[in-house]
Amino acid sequence: MSTGPSGTNLEGEAPVAESVVETDEATITDDAELERTLGIVGGLAIGIGTMIGAGIFVFPGLAGAEGGTAATASFAVSGVVALLVALPTSELATAMPKSGGGYYFISRGLGTLAGTVVGLSLWLGLVFATAFYLVGLGFYALDALALVGIGVGANPGGIVSALAVVAGIGFTVLNVTGTENAAKLQNGIVALLLSMLVAFLALGLFDVLGVTGAAPSGGTEADRWAALPILSTAALVFTSYLGFAQVATVAGEIKRPGRNLPLAMIGSVLIVTVMYVVTIFVATSVFDRTQLGTFGETAMVEIGRELLGLPGAFVIVVGGLLATMSSANASILSTSRAIYGVSKDALLPRWASRINLRYGTPHVALGMAGGPVIVLAATREVQLLAEVASFLHLIMYGLICVALVAIRRDEPEWYEPEFRVPGGPVIPVVGAVASFGLIAFMDPASIVVGGFVILATAGWYLYYARDVTLRGAL
Amino acid sequence: MTRVLVPVAVLEGESVSPGLVDLLGTVDVTVLGYHVLPEQTPPDQARLQYEDRATDALEDLSDAFRTAGGAADHRLVFTHDRQQSIDRIADEVDAKALAVPGITGDVERVLVSLSGDVAVDRILSFLTELVGDRDIGVTLLFAADTEDAAAERLDTAAEQLRSSGIDVTTTSVVGTGPSAALIEEASSHDAIVMSERAPSFSSLIFGEESDRIAAASVGPVLVVRYEEGLDT
Repeated sequence: MSTGPSGTNLEGEAPVAESVVETDEATITDDAELERTLGIVGGLAIGIGTMIGAGIFVFPGLAGAEGGTAATASFAVSGVVALLVALPTSELATAMPKSGGGYYFISRGLGTLAGTVVGLSLWLGLVFATAFYLVGLGFYALDALALVGIGVGANPGGIVSALAVVAGIGFTVLNVTGTENAAKLQNGIVALLLSMLVAFLALGLFDVLGVTGAAPSGGTEADRWAALPILSTAALVFTSYLGFAQVATVAGEIKRPGRNLPLAMIGSVLIVTVMYVVTIFVATSVFDRTQLGTFGETAMVEIGRELLGLPGAFVIVVGGLLATMSSANASILSTSRAIYGVSKDALLPRWASRINLRYGTPHVALGMAGGPVIVLAATREVQLLAEVASFLHLIMYGLICVALVAIRRDEPEWYEPEFRVPGGPVIPVVGAVASFGLIAFMDPASIVVGGFVILATAGWYLYYARDVTLRGAL
Repeated sequence: MTRVLVPVAVLEGESVSPGLVDLLGTVDVTVLGYHVLPEQTPPDQARLQYEDRATDALEDLSDAFRTAGGAADHRLVFTHDRQQSIDRIADEVDAKALAVPGITGDVERVLVSLSGDVAVDRILSFLTELVGDRDIGVTLLFAADTEDAAAERLDTAAEQLRSSGIDVTTTSVVGTGPSAALIEEASSHDAIVMSERAPSFSSLIFGEESDRIAAASVGPVLVVRYEEGLDT
């Protein structure tokens, strides 16, 4: 279909639309060109850098307390769900290599209502995810203080909140005012993290598999190899896999998108799945459920201490700080891009995508990302934040799969993906069922909060953007 | 016809001085308006806000080049990576040289660096076309280890230019680096012509040589592009 988006929102703004030509190096519009500057390494760094933060450093304690070694299966299940979604997302992204990612595919494939719900809940989902990363950062910063001998006082929880809020403000201000290109720094942090973790895990695996005497002296609470705890833990830890779709939000800036987008998305899911599964296996082999439960969010530090003594604890604290920072920062960036995507289509006021004249940064969108993040981070509700983030993303992931099936059925003229998911509708259908299915295993409180957000976004559509038409418009 | 690419940071108020516009009157020009964005900003977002302003400025600039003589068009790029965009557009329009805009009045004398391992023939053929039958003098500069090595290259080159009716003087510098020699001489000239080098270690550390020289000499610098696989 060649008809562009049409209609106007409550304020009379229409979606911005024009015909563009996508090449491997640039997007060419009528009067200007947009350079594609991210290569495969940059793409992988966004995916891995967003994912590897909290998942690996915050969840071992919480997930291990639920299922013991069975938590390894939970991470594997989550990884498979992520992969089932990453494949359809890759196909859609190569057909529509534009900023906005999942929102863009769904609004074009399924229409404005689904688009608004996803676009706004992607924003809010990223806000919840970022808050979760920041709380993780707060816990690690607290441990770092303890390691260097600074007492935490009588109210450690309050300090975690304070640290998370300060970090949230810091990242928002940094993104508004920092015009230095931080991409290289991000790549470096991801490379450093990966090498630290690989070395650490290799040592840990050796210890766990080879020297059985390293088993803990404490309690011996048995692992829970049962479907229900495994799946409910999978629903909790799914937050660890939210990064791959963030690659699609920068799809417009990736060089050779037909090749690099699928490689970056599928590659980062595969890499982190392996890392996670091994980490959880090591973690749950070193300590049992009760012990992991006692250690909580920073159980990894105790695992480091158990395996390598004080240096091990130190390495994990540094790694945890870097990882939660890189996750938080990458998510704030993605949030601002998500807001831009919906604002361009007139689903949010146009001023939301204004650019600051002094710094050239999207300060309104960054503020709309950072503001709610700070409020949520102060709650310190790790589990709730993580699950609501997962909930909102899973709705989007399920709809991405549905959108793929819908677009393939219509097969519009413009639809020419360079990457096609093999096996016909099987993978997207299973992906949709798995995404929606995982939600059912979440904590009821998370489902209520997530459901409320979805209803609110649908309400916003009815109030603000009922007359905007996006379906089928490229 | 020979085409020169003129990259301009169009939204930061960078412009092209009248002297450079006149100097490029004998060649075709593509004005490349670029705007570099921090990574937080999607290029498309900046385009929505700034495209009209940038296009206005670029149309004025290409009009000025057209009035001065050659054919002129313009491209507008929003990018995170200036060098990548310049390289891509230079390839696409098959530009023989890039201009680093600087401040200058009427160009009466240009300084040409032949130092180092450069494609002398490419520089000279570009220069011949650029000067045309205009009354613009050329100073050939060579920085070498010994006086003899300099003399040979300079004499051959000067001879070639004189046969096209160009007023040429030569200067050889011994014991000074090519960049330092060029900056030293630049003050008595209105523009510089030099050759792009293959990407080197020092260009990674210190940035492009031509940009450093442009910054140090104030005036415009024309950089004859390096072509891969070219025997020099």
